[in-house]
Amino acid sequence: MIVFGQLALGLALLCSIVAIGALFWGRSLGPRDGESITNAGYYATFAAMGAYTVTILVMVTAFFAKDYSFYYVAQNHSTDASSLAWLYSISAVWAGREGSLLFWGWLIALFAGWVAYQRMDKTDDLSNMGIAVTNIVLALFGAAMLFSEPNDPFKLTPPEFLSNGQLIGQAAEWGMNPLLQHWAMILHPPTLFIGYAGLTIAFAFAMAALITNDASKLWIDIVDRITVFAWLFLGAGNGLGAIWAYVVLGWGGYWAWDPVENASLLPWLTGVGLIHSFTIYKRRDGFKRWTILLAAVTFALVILGTFIVRSGIVQSVHAFTEDPVSLWLFLSMIIGSVAAAVIGLWLRWETFAGNDEFESLTSKEAAYYFNNVIMLVSSVLVAYMTMTSAFPAWMPFGGQSISATSFDLLARPIGLVYAFLLALCPILLWKKTDGTTLWKRIKWPLAGTAVLFPLLMWEWFANLRPIYVFMIAQGGEGARKLLAFGPEIVYDVISILAFLAAALMFSTTVWLFVDGSRKRAAARGESVWASLVHIIFRARTQSGGYIAHIGMAIILVGLVGSSMYVRDVRLNVPEQAGATFQVDDYTFTFQGISEDQLKNGDIVAKATFAVQRDGVSLGTVDPGLTKFARQGQTRLDARVLIEPLRDIFVVWEGSEEGQMSVNVKINPLISFAWGGFGVLMLGAALAAWPKRAPAAIVPAAPVRKSASSKRKVAK
Amino acid sequence: MNKRARSRLIGVTAIVILAIAAIFFSLGSLGGTAYYRSVEELATDNSLAGERVKVGGTVVPGSWDKKANPMNFEIRDETDDKGVGPTVRVVYTEGVPATFGDGVTAIITGVLGTDGVITSAEMITKCPSKYESAVGAMSIDDLLAGGETYVGKTVKATGYVKTGTIVAPGGESRFVVTNEKGAGAEVRVAWEGALPQGMADGSNVVLTGAIGQNGDFVATNVALEGTDK
Repeated sequence: MIVFGQLALGLALLCSIVAIGALFWGRSLGPRDGESITNAGYYATFAAMGAYTVTILVMVTAFFAKDYSFYYVAQNHSTDASSLAWLYSISAVWAGREGSLLFWGWLIALFAGWVAYQRMDKTDDLSNMGIAVTNIVLALFGAAMLFSEPNDPFKLTPPEFLSNGQLIGQAAEWGMNPLLQHWAMILHPPTLFIGYAGLTIAFAFAMAALITNDASKLWIDIVDRITVFAWLFLGAGNGLGAIWAYVVLGWGGYWAWDPVENASLLPWLTGVGLIHSFTIYKRRDGFKRWTILLAAVTFALVILGTFIVRSGIVQSVHAFTEDPVSLWLFLSMIIGSVAAAVIGLWLRWETFAGNDEFESLTSKEAAYYFNNVIMLVSSVLVAYMTMTSAFPAWMPFGGQSISATSFDLLARPIGLVYAFLLALCPILLWKKTDGTTLWKRIKWPLAGTAVLFPLLMWEWFANLRPIYVFMIAQGGEGARKLLAFGPEIVYDVISILAFLAAALMFSTTVWLFVDGSRKRAAARGESVWASLVHIIFRARTQSGGYIAHIGMAIILVGLVGSSMYVRDVRLNVPEQAGATFQVDDYTFTFQGISEDQLKNGDIVAKATFAVQRDGVSLGTVDPGLTKFARQGQTRLDARVLIEPLRDIFVVWEGSEEGQMSVNVKINPLISFAWGGFGVLMLGAALAAWPKRAPAAIVPAAPVRKSASSKRKVAK
Repeated sequence: MNKRARSRLIGVTAIVILAIAAIFFSLGSLGGTAYYRSVEELATDNSLAGERVKVGGTVVPGSWDKKANPMNFEIRDETDDKGVGPTVRVVYTEGVPATFGDGVTAIITGVLGTDGVITSAEMITKCPSKYESAVGAMSIDDLLAGGETYVGKTVKATGYVKTGTIVAPGGESRFVVTNEKGAGAEVRVAWEGALPQGMADGSNVVLTGAIGQNGDFVATNVALEGTDK
C-alpha cells in the first residue's frame, strides 16, 4: 500500500509540473491558439488535486489499519483508548512533519482545484497565471516530500523494528506525543493549515496580476473571499492553539511569545493589513503596491513560520540541518516570493500606481495606511525578535534570546496605539474628516464610552489593581515581569488607556450599526430592526468587518485582565481529606484522589477539590494527571472553574510524601478574550461568506447630507 | 496631491517607527534579553558569568528532586542523545511547571553563576511540536556514579552490549552493558524477556528498569537504540 502512496505523490508532482508547463505554453500561443493547451493546464490541476487526495486517503487508511510498515504511522499512531481514539487516527496525519507537509500540500491542491473550477469557463490570462503560480508552490511542496527523505511521508519502517506487523524493541514506545491527544489538537493544525494554504492563492494571484500587467481589481475579486476565509481559519487555528496551551500545557496562559506561536501570528498580522488593503484597492483604486507587497510578505511569513518552527535555527528540536533539500526549498520560497513581488513591482511600477492621494491625516485612507504600517512593522519586528538567537553578534541582540516580557514591553504600547486607531478609523470619512463632521460622528460614541469606561475602571480599581499589589508583594519571577515596566504608574496607565480604547472602539463601531440602520429605516420607511438585518446580511464585507472590530474591543478587555493581572499562587497541600487552602476569595477543600487504569495501561488520576467563594459553593474542580504507560510521560490535566469575571485555573502537579503540589491561577476577564474572539471569528465568517450577487455596497461617505448617503452603512 | 497632508503622514510614520525603535533598543538594558547558548558552550566557557543566559536541553533523568527547595536539576544538550556530553546544573527558584520530568526538553533563562550553575526563575518545558518522544536515557557512568540514589528507582539507561556476555534466560544476568563500545564502566543486566531482534555484541541498547540491591540492573524493557529517531 505504501507504494500506492508514493506513486500518487509522484503523480501529483508530475501533474503540477504539467499544469505549469501547459499554462505558460498556452499563454505564449495566445488565447485562441493556446486554448486547448491552457485547458490541459486546468485538467492537470484537477488531476493534482485528485492525486493528493489519494495520498491522504492512503495515509488515513494506514492509520486506521495500524499498518506499521509505514514509518510515519509507526512513529505517530495514537495509543489512546478513549472515545476520541478514532479521531486521533485521523489527526495523526498531521501529528508529524512529513504528514503535516502532505496535508498542507493537499489543502493547497484543493484550493487550486476550487479556483480552477471557478475560472475554467473564463480561462482568462490572469486566472491562468494565478493557477500556474499556485502549481509552482504545489510542485515545490511535492518536491520537498519526494526528494528529501526526512520529509517523505511514505517511508518504510526499518525491518529491525517490525515483527509480524507489530512494533518491537525501541519502536514499541513510538507513538503520538500524548500531549497532542486532545480535542483542540485535532482541530488546531488543520485550521491553521487551511489558513496557510488559502493565503497561497492570494499570493499566486498577486503574482499573476504582475505577470499579466493587470492592475484592475479583477484579481482581488477572485481572491478576496478566499483570503478572508483563510485569514479566518488562521485566526481560529491560533485561538484553538491558545486554548490547548491554556488547558493542556498547563501554562495557565495562552500566549508566551514562543517561536511556534509567533510563527503562526506573523502571517495573521500582515493578513490584517492585506484584507484591509483589498478594501482600498477595490473601492478607492488605491494601495495597489501595498496589496501586492502584503500578499507576498504574508505568504513568505507563512513559509517563514514553518521554517522557524521546523528548521531548528531557533531551537534545535527537529532540524532541517541534516536536510539541505528542504532548507533550500523553503528558503527559496521565502526569499523568492518577496523578491518576485519587489522585482515585479519595480517592473510594473507605473501600472500599479493607483490613486494614493492623501488629503488629510484625519481620513480613512490615513487610518488604513497606518494600519498597514503598524502591521508590517510589528510582524517584521516579531519575526526578527523571534530569530535573534540565530543571528550574528553584530546585529542588534544577535546571539541573544529575547524574553516574553520584552515582547510585552513592545507589544503593549504598539497595541495601544493600534487600538485607538481601530477605535477611530470607522468614524473617519474618506479623503478628509473636518472638525464638525468628526464631532457629529463621535458624540454618540463618546456618550457610550462615558458609560462603559467607568464600568471597566470600577473593575480595574476593585479587582485588577489589587492583583498587581499582591504579585509585587509575593516577589519572584511574577514580580520581575511586572517591574520590567518600571514604576506602577506606567503599568496603570497602559491598562487604563487600553480600557479607554476598548470602550471607545466598542462604542464607535456599535454606533455605526445604530446610525446606519436608523438612517436606512428613515429613508425606506421600514423598521430599524429590518434595516439592521439588511445591513448585516446584505453588506456582509463591511458589516462582517465591523463585527470583527467589536470582537477586537471585547478581546482587548480580556487581554488587559488575563495577560496583565494574573494572580499566580503555588502551594503545598497535605493529602488529607478536608485539608483547605485559600486563594484570594476562594476556599479550596481537598476531597480525595481517584485513580483509574485504562485498557491501554495509562493511569488517570484526579484530585478533587470543593471550591467556595465567600461561603457559597461553586462546585468542584478535579485537576488530573495522566500517566502514559507506553511513552513513560505524564500529562497534567488542568481544570478551569469559570466565573463570569474570572477563571480559576487549577493544576495538580503531583504529590510528594503526602504533600500535593497545587498551582492556582486566577485569570481575570479571560472569558472576554474567548468571547471576543468568537465575535471576531463570526464577523470574519460573515465577511468571508461567498457572494451570490454583487452586494450593494457603495462607498457611502456622507460628504453631504444627501438622501442617497442615508441608505448605506456609514463608512 | 496635498503636500502638507503627505509630509504630515510621513512625519507621523517616522515618529511611530522611531518610538518603536527606541523601545526596541532599550530592551537590552531592561533585562529582557539573554544570551542563547548550548549546554556544551556553557560548560566549557564561563565568560558569560553574571549575565542572563538562555539554554535548552534535556532534563537528565534522576538528576532532580521535587522536594528540594529550591529545586535543582541538570540538563544536557538535546543533540547529545548518547548522554555522554557535559551537563549544566540549574537551580530553579519557582514552582515546577506542569510538564517537567525526566527526559523533557526544558528551556531555561537565568543568571549564570561563576560556579557554572544557572539560577533561574523562568523555565518553559517544550511545547511538543517535537514529534518524537525524547529518549532521555542516562549513560552507564551516570547510572553507577549515582550509587545508592538509583537503587529501586525506575530509570532509562543506554549502553553497549559487552562482547560474549549474552546468555540464555534463567541465570542471574542476561548480558552485560558497558559505557562505551567495548570499554568503560559496566553493569550486569537481569532480563527474562525476549531480546530485541538484531541485538548482538556491541549493539547500542536502551534499558528501562532499576538497579537492584546487588548492583545489577533489573530491566523491565530492553530495546535497541533507535538511530533514526
